[in-house]
Amino acid sequence: MARITAGVATSHVPLLGVGIDQGKMDDPYFKPIYEGYEWSKKWIAEEKPDVIILVYNDHASAFDMNLIPTFAIGCADEFQPADEGWGPRPVPPVNNHADMAWHIAQSLILDEFDMTIINKMDVDHGLTVPLSLLFGQPDAWPVKVIPLAVNVVTYPPPSGNRCWMLGEAIARAVESFDEDLNVQIWGTGGMSHQLQGPRAGLINAEWDQKFLDDLTADPERLRHIPHIEYLRETGSEGIEMVMWLIMRGALGPMIKERHRHFHVPASNTAVGHIVLEKET
Amino acid sequence: MTQDIHEYLAEFDDIPGTRVYTTKRARAGYWLNQFAMSLMKAENREKWLADEKAYLEDWPMTDEQKQAVLDRDYNRLLDLGGNIYFLAKIFSTDGLSFVQAVSTMSGMSEEDYKAMMMAGGRSPEGMRSIKEGR
Ligand SMILES: [Fe+2]
Repeated sequence: MARITAGVATSHVPLLGVGIDQGKMDDPYFKPIYEGYEWSKKWIAEEKPDVIILVYNDHASAFDMNLIPTFAIGCADEFQPADEGWGPRPVPPVNNHADMAWHIAQSLILDEFDMTIINKMDVDHGLTVPLSLLFGQPDAWPVKVIPLAVNVVTYPPPSGNRCWMLGEAIARAVESFDEDLNVQIWGTGGMSHQLQGPRAGLINAEWDQKFLDDLTADPERLRHIPHIEYLRETGSEGIEMVMWLIMRGALGPMIKERHRHFHVPASNTAVGHIVLEKET
Repeated sequence: MTQDIHEYLAEFDDIPGTRVYTTKRARAGYWLNQFAMSLMKAENREKWLADEKAYLEDWPMTDEQKQAVLDRDYNRLLDLGGNIYFLAKIFSTDGLSFVQAVSTMSGMSEEDYKAMMMAGGRSPEGMRSIKEGR
């Protein structure tokens, strides 16, 4: 049977992809950011997950204003890196475990989560930057990736509680997939940042740190944070952190924090990263 | 737990210096955002850069929206239904980074904005609620 063994959360700031693509890893601006991923790169090289369910959001790349799915799951065999306006990132295509993706899609729908199934889709920095942060620059990604896209652009996005419950349902779906697979779930985006209006540049390190603490200490609190609190406390784009709750919901009650990293700034954003392992 | 949609939306107007991208804005800004999205294609970027006004003629946007695009007035564009991830296609075509474009919305110079970010970003103190002044 397939099993979820660990969860990873990380910001997916586009600049962090640029830094890697342009070989600026040792630049003084970037160095303290990438150093926080060194532990995780070694960890994942040992863990060797077979599949990552990667929760992210599209930033007006694959989805325009014509279609706004709240939860969409990628079910094609392969996804290409998106051209976000300056050419696609020089990273390998993303290979899906399509059998498992379709299995998860059908299981979730039966479990009353009405997923959008998407086949033709390019994946933007929201998905590819986390892969680069954990795997560096390989010729091919050493893992299958199931993209799970969440609308956090047009309000209302899903509630934190709904995200949590989707995570729980994903865990049930994984457990009923009849193949012996080591599966991780990743939540991406955040932490505090605001990219628009006169309040742009808002960062709330204290709030972010408490969020990181409570992923283990008090996840029930996180689950019920209303949208207005994300907006007031973490800037208009901090809402991306609801995607971390899909990851957290999928892990269940018994978890251990293995690694954490927090750094301000990357571009306009507070970078947060955490590795959580499921206790067996 | 159901939430009253009117109460939910009303709170958004109490956040200083922020335009939350609601369905109302999404409806008003539909063509503005779709126009911006068209700049994802290299051949469209070329046409746009060659003659901005002519390019806009093909899009059923309001005159105000068109003028704000030509003026690169991003706060105005947010008011008229623009979303930042779509507007990013316009400023990226101009060769601006997110930090450069975002600083123009904050009313700060690029240097001051960058310095603020390096020093830990804008504090949330006094920036959470207009009514409550916190
Ligand atoms: Fe994002």
